[in-house]
Amino acid sequence: MTMTAGSNPSTASVLRGGLLGGVATASGIALTATSGWLIVRAAERPVILTLLTAIVMVRAFGIARPVFRYWERLVSHDAALGLLAQRRTEAYRALIPLTPARLGTRRRSAVLTGVVDDLTDEVEATVRVTVPVIGAVLAGALVVALSAALEPAVGAVLAVLALVVALICLVAARLETRSLDELFVARDEVARVAALATSQADQLQAVGGWTTALRWLDDAHAGLARATRRVSLGRASAAAGFLIAVGTAVVTIAFLVRDLDAGGPVKALLTLTPVAVSEAIAPLVDAVRARTRAAAAAARTRALLGLQPAVRAEPSPTKTDAGSARQACAAAEAKVPSAASDPTRSPDSTGSNGVTALAADLSAAPDIALHGVTASWNGQRSHLGPIDLHLPAGSRVAITGPNGAGKSTLLAVLARNLDTTGGGCTWDGVDVGTLPLTGVRDRIAVVDDAPHIFATTLRNNLTLAAPDATDDDILAGLTRVGLAPFVKALPDGLDTTLGTGGRGVSGGERARLGIARALLSRRPVVLLDEPVAHLDPPTARAVVADLLAEGTLEPSRTIVMVTHRDEGLDLFDRVLNLATPTSTAAIE
Amino acid sequence: MRPFDPRLLRVVPAARRPMAALGVVGVLSGIATIGTAFALTALVVAVVEGDPLGVPAGWLAALFAVRALMAGLTERVAAWAGVAVSTALRSALLRRWSTLDADSRPEPAAAVSLATTGATTVEPYAARFLPTLVTASVVPVLAIATLVVVDWPSAVVVVLTVPLLPLFAALIGRATADETSRRWAALASLGGHFLDVVQGLPTLVSYGRAERQVATVREVSERHRRATMRTLRLAFLSSAALELLATISVAIVAVTVGLRLSTGSLDLGPALVAILLAPEAFWPIRRVGAEFHAAADGAAALDDILTHLTPSPAAPNASFGCESGGAAARSRPNDAFSSASGPAVRLSGVSYRYAAPLPDVVDHLDLEAGPGLTVVTGPSGVGKSTVLDLVAGLRRPRTGTVESPASHYVTQRPFLAAGSIREALTIGHHADDATLWEALRAVGVEGVVAALPGGLAAGLGDDGFGLSAGQRQRLALARAWLAPERVLLLDEPTAHLDPRSASEIAALIAGLADGRIIIAVTHRDELLAHAQHHLHLTRPGAITAETDNPVGAARS
Repeated sequence: MTMTAGSNPSTASVLRGGLLGGVATASGIALTATSGWLIVRAAERPVILTLLTAIVMVRAFGIARPVFRYWERLVSHDAALGLLAQRRTEAYRALIPLTPARLGTRRRSAVLTGVVDDLTDEVEATVRVTVPVIGAVLAGALVVALSAALEPAVGAVLAVLALVVALICLVAARLETRSLDELFVARDEVARVAALATSQADQLQAVGGWTTALRWLDDAHAGLARATRRVSLGRASAAAGFLIAVGTAVVTIAFLVRDLDAGGPVKALLTLTPVAVSEAIAPLVDAVRARTRAAAAAARTRALLGLQPAVRAEPSPTKTDAGSARQACAAAEAKVPSAASDPTRSPDSTGSNGVTALAADLSAAPDIALHGVTASWNGQRSHLGPIDLHLPAGSRVAITGPNGAGKSTLLAVLARNLDTTGGGCTWDGVDVGTLPLTGVRDRIAVVDDAPHIFATTLRNNLTLAAPDATDDDILAGLTRVGLAPFVKALPDGLDTTLGTGGRGVSGGERARLGIARALLSRRPVVLLDEPVAHLDPPTARAVVADLLAEGTLEPSRTIVMVTHRDEGLDLFDRVLNLATPTSTAAIE
Repeated sequence: MRPFDPRLLRVVPAARRPMAALGVVGVLSGIATIGTAFALTALVVAVVEGDPLGVPAGWLAALFAVRALMAGLTERVAAWAGVAVSTALRSALLRRWSTLDADSRPEPAAAVSLATTGATTVEPYAARFLPTLVTASVVPVLAIATLVVVDWPSAVVVVLTVPLLPLFAALIGRATADETSRRWAALASLGGHFLDVVQGLPTLVSYGRAERQVATVREVSERHRRATMRTLRLAFLSSAALELLATISVAIVAVTVGLRLSTGSLDLGPALVAILLAPEAFWPIRRVGAEFHAAADGAAALDDILTHLTPSPAAPNASFGCESGGAAARSRPNDAFSSASGPAVRLSGVSYRYAAPLPDVVDHLDLEAGPGLTVVTGPSGVGKSTVLDLVAGLRRPRTGTVESPASHYVTQRPFLAAGSIREALTIGHHADDATLWEALRAVGVEGVVAALPGGLAAGLGDDGFGLSAGQRQRLALARAWLAPERVLLLDEPTAHLDPRSASEIAALIAGLADGRIIIAVTHRDELLAHAQHHLHLTRPGAITAETDNPVGAARS
């Protein structure tokens, strides 16, 4: 029944919580049993003084129970919340290498529900399973031992009761687990539909889709109700089974002790003991429920985070070094995409750790070459190539072609977001697969067609790409992409908080913010995926011109833009037309 | 925040039945529990005095069996009630939002959090806390009533001490209410933060910033932990205090019983019943306090949801003044439309801004669009998309009126639900497969879909993942092609298409305009060639008319 809580300080806290819980539970059992003894003894009309010891004991148990329970709950909840913080962090970290290419294979709302809810369920087991079970086992062992000392036969009955309770737990857990997958699927579906309908409320309204969406919700709810009914069979049979077991134990012990050669008070104490023990047993119903949920949640999280990244991890040990250096540095930093200075942006984040394959100077563009490259998003069908492409430092290449020709796939390969399935890709003559992933990506800025605007200030939204950019740099960058009037209209300028999901930011403004980010980053390779799709022709051309004229600052900057539009194509050195779709069935 | 909000039963009728079932099971369980005390006493007395055990043992076994049955039933009913209440709330919430415009709905992240996590948090509240509440209002009353009959002095002690528990609980509850609501706010912001960070993960990864967000996630979680522990410490302390209070009260009963036993003024039987029943008057009330910390989130969420379901009579957009909310500002003369002649989409004096400090993106705009294709052009940011939002009723004008029949609106990023292509196309209106293929043929993706494994049943990812932007666009146009609405609003319908495809689609749109009102926003020339009317927005609210058919032009 117990959960393994991982090897960290919270394991000790959990054990401590279990021990404290055991003391609290045992105090409760002792309180009921000694009270029974006391009443029966008092009925024998002894001298009051002879009862004093028992009275003191009853008081001590009465006070010990709430005190230890309070202490146990503080310890176990703090341990659980600490564990939750740790697991959330780990899960987020594990999502990073799966981004972006693996995020689409699972629905985003499922990713969220999965990470947030599953981790909560999993960690909740600390409080709801591990601690109560340790407590119940400790208290149960104590009760069996003490009652066996008074009367071995009663000890045996109580030991059997403990075994039966354990058995009921197992059976109930199996009953719950049996239908739990169904319940999780149903919950997932409810969360997915609800999140979808809520976040896409406008879009649903736009196409008159609310009736359909509400029908999805009703279906999802019906499925959830069905699954819940089935799953609750487990905990219901546990709750019923425990009471039958306790009732049987009481009756059995009553028959055992009636003719015992002992005083009335002791007989009463022994008869009442199973009733007292039910205080330790009752929480196990909840433990059964929580345990099965936690196990399934843990399995789901493992399955999600165990997905293979779309790119192989780099072969060198640099990742961990650079990663931990970054973290140490990041720990000092306060807020979402913070503007604070970032020393790890200096070249040594890739170069100085012994990996010399990449040029130490991050601002230098590599000479990129693709030879007969093919690629696939799902490993089943080719979405690109074979293609040959040479991008010397400072190239300005536009990639055009009909929909489905593999433009976005090519960009994903160049961005090191997707591994090739065939052919070779080299940077300065070195196979890019042998270079550190972070080192490669640190030199690439990607602008997709719907850049995310974080719920933070305009400044933070831009400095996440260029931590040491000054306000002048930022304003210059914004002006360059035609956003000067936008900034002027904002109430607090760069300090204006842009709403969640970029509310109040138009598609065109969003695209320009994405480009401004890339320009500010000073990364030597800029990859743009349909960046001007939402802009009017003069602005689109102006943006492309600014993008390319920027070469006066970094003459060696390589710029690759996927586009289907004509504006500004003449400003590129080269236009690559992926004329022939790679596959007639291509859904790229 | 109240332990039970009667608004729940009033606003969400679907919650009434599970609540009633919880009450019935609770009362029956309480009666069985009281009976057990008598049977147990009889058994113990028989054991102590060496009497035959058959009858009391039989009673006890039977009562335990009844209690077992009721306990099982309680679990079943509680699980059902939890789901029934939370789903009823979620359903009511979404049904309400489906009737509102974007400005009247809560912020997207907060709305998602409320509809998913929020409604789900109510589940433990209904499944665990409410049954406890029922028990607490039934069992103590039964126990005290029984005590009055069995041993009235004990009943007096209990009656005098029991009210201290709710009094204490209320005092502590008042002290912790602020903390709890603050915690709920922290939770909501944490949810929003996580959503934001995960949605922005591609951007963060691409700028090497994802790793540093790990620290932020950890930091926010740690903040959450500290805030939660502050609340919990209070909650646990209050429950410990209540337990101590209950223990002392039971001890007083025990002392009086013991004294009367030792003086011979009370028999063992009634004494045992009193001592077994006295705790029954206290623990259910105590458990309410103990369970409430687990349910506090749910109660807060419930309060939040009920507030969203019962909005205050004062409309949020006060600027409508005498126009009685937004209702009068927007009419959908669906029936009148067929007989109406002349322009059917009419905006007069319409102004709109996203939020109060931002300037108007649409400023006193007058616009009319009649049958045929109306193309709206203008520089980026001049409010073209907002005009379509206003016509579609997604946004409510700050001033002025919008008149339009029901419309089908293809936005810049058209919504394609995860699911099959068939589902994506038939959202909002039913169509048979033959019609679907016809629509796909019309927009030129028939071949692409036919080649997919499963054809129309082929799955799409969230937001059409797996399709190129151009293919997404074409599917959305196929859906518009299928839509029964006579007004089509198209925002950059050719944005993601190569020039050849764009001119194909432009021709298709021109064909659709026959017998419909189409308003299309575009930057590109293909559509202009087919336009019956052309409106050029130069600044918010100003239209430079260049039309070959001066029906649709106007000036502010």
